[in-house]
Amino acid sequence: MTRAEQGVTLFVGGFGFLLVLALLTGTLTPSYTLYLAGLTGMYVLLSFGLNAQWGYTGLINFSVAAFFGIGAYATALVTATNSPLSIPGGVLVGLVLAILASAVVAVAIAIPTLRLRSDYLAIASLGLAEVVRQIVLNQRDWTNGSGGLRGIPDVFAGWPVLGELPEQLPGLQFTEYAVGIPGLFRVRVLGFTLDTPFWTDLLNFVVVVVFVVAVYLLLRRVHRSPWGRVLRTIRSDEDLASALGKDTYGFKLQSFVLGSIIMALGGIFYAFLAAYVSPGDLEPINTFYVWIAVILGGSGSNRGAMFGGFVVVAIREGTRFASDILPSQLPVNIPVLVDVYGAIVSDFGSTRLLIVGLLIVLVMRLRPEGVLPPQRELVWPSALEEKDE
Amino acid sequence: MAILELLANGLVFSSIIVLASIGLSLVYSIADFANFAHGDTMAVGAYAALLTFGVLGGVGPTVLALPVGFFIALAVGAAVAALVAVVTHVVVYEPLEVDSIGLLITSIGVAFVYRAIIQLRFGSNPIEFDIPLQRPIEALVPLGVRVTVHDVAIVATAALLVVGLHVLLQYTDLGRKMRATADNPDLARVSGIRTRRVEWWTWIIGAGLAGVGGGFLGLYNQLSPRMGFDILLVVFAAVILGGIGSVYGAMAGGLLIGVINQLMPAISDLAVALPLVPNVGPAYADSVAFLIMVAVLLVRPSGIAGGETT
Repeated sequence: MTRAEQGVTLFVGGFGFLLVLALLTGTLTPSYTLYLAGLTGMYVLLSFGLNAQWGYTGLINFSVAAFFGIGAYATALVTATNSPLSIPGGVLVGLVLAILASAVVAVAIAIPTLRLRSDYLAIASLGLAEVVRQIVLNQRDWTNGSGGLRGIPDVFAGWPVLGELPEQLPGLQFTEYAVGIPGLFRVRVLGFTLDTPFWTDLLNFVVVVVFVVAVYLLLRRVHRSPWGRVLRTIRSDEDLASALGKDTYGFKLQSFVLGSIIMALGGIFYAFLAAYVSPGDLEPINTFYVWIAVILGGSGSNRGAMFGGFVVVAIREGTRFASDILPSQLPVNIPVLVDVYGAIVSDFGSTRLLIVGLLIVLVMRLRPEGVLPPQRELVWPSALEEKDE
Repeated sequence: MAILELLANGLVFSSIIVLASIGLSLVYSIADFANFAHGDTMAVGAYAALLTFGVLGGVGPTVLALPVGFFIALAVGAAVAALVAVVTHVVVYEPLEVDSIGLLITSIGVAFVYRAIIQLRFGSNPIEFDIPLQRPIEALVPLGVRVTVHDVAIVATAALLVVGLHVLLQYTDLGRKMRATADNPDLARVSGIRTRRVEWWTWIIGAGLAGVGGGFLGLYNQLSPRMGFDILLVVFAAVILGGIGSVYGAMAGGLLIGVINQLMPAISDLAVALPLVPNVGPAYADSVAFLIMVAVLLVRPSGIAGGETT
């Protein structure tokens, strides 16, 4: 392992350890822990999708939130209790709808822009993402507008075995313990019950893990295939690729559609995770969370994308925590600092935006290739083995 | 039909878009990247003007129903926007060792930092300039045009600035250097032009105009931290429509996009009358501006001005 890899492993391991500790001491409830894990899985999926476009082929897509939204809304429209369009069918219909819709939108963005300078795609995709958000917000008769769609059932609701599994699994009750050194500190440990809602959340989590593993294996295969080799050539030198007789436009289109479908998968999962989708989920900031994940992790590297997804959840949910934990006033009285601190602590939404902005600038300045730039991904494994011998 | 009124409104809105798109286009042609922080630079200018106007109050006589203090506030807003842009250029963009796409991504981070700081200081709720609203000009009401004196002030100031920029670009030394740098930076450098200084001036002029545009946008609607981002896509549409990097194209594109944006109610009327025109409400005004841009790209990828720079 390189030093960067060791650092990342240590960071992720340490963070995971903290999460488990928080779970055991009751700071986090079991279902919130699973929610965090599910959210991480979702961001990893979105990052995989963007990585297939930006990391592999160099396509700037600023409409991650739109494809995510298409996936989430397609699922929600089919399954939600207050869906204005009562399309019959369950999860699978939603899945097919989401994949079809995301592919169609991807082609619609790609056709006018992929032949042009690459920054046109950036602007066009951001614009089309806003068009999608406007439609979701304003077409109340299709999407329920700003009210959002609620009452999305569990993933496997109504399925033969998996549908009833959470109810049939036994509830586990953990008695509460108190540990500590007398007179110094006492910590409450365990003392929670794992019953049906927990098993449902666990099943949700298993679904995202299956999605992530399947997509990872697919992308790894795809990236090493001749197809993926062409994509890498396009990214580094498009003129070379076309001089070699490759239809660069076609390859870029395929890569764009592939990535968009993976993003829609993330959205499908999110609909079940949150059981509620609203136009707020399509805000452009969500696109840039995923961008951070990919550029921080290292463009082109799927391991990097996983790490990035992890960091994004830490930023998103961590700032929420920080607002509960940090005192509202600075203990020392330094005039200007007190005001700045007060503003930062009282408005964590803005602080999160500031962190995201600074992180983008700092990564581009200090480590534009990302923390885990692609290394092994770029070569066929047997070549590495030969080298090692 | 109130088409005349919509056109008048379009002209007012266009003035703001033109001010913004010129700056975006200048930076595009000289610094060579799509600056996603341009909209938020407008917001910086607008809020700086708001602060200044709060201090100055309504000092001085009124010109076009606006106290002179407001114009001073606008100038301060432009200066602050220019200063912030130059500092950002020196601290963030210049030391970067990335390509134009990397700069583009960085500018998004910069945009977030601007917006977050504005939000932390002013909160995220909309604010308005403390200037009483004007009644429409009486003489024009019989014609069906309801514009206020403030609207006239916006159009007049924008026209003045655009003419000023034209003179600057065509008849001054700096203008020639800017055109030369935009055309071919390497050739400009070997011909003895200090391109670094030209770049600075580009940021100052571009961000200054954006600051004025932001101030007017605040007067026209209201100020909110998201105001710049919300208008950014319309500005990009104008710039691309005009042809990326062409200042005169940006002016034309801005005028066209602004007018189309305000004509949306007429399009709705048309949709009621004709079966083939889709009836999209004014909520989709920005989306329509944007789809027009995409349609233009399909037919004429280099925009109206055909890819000529500055």
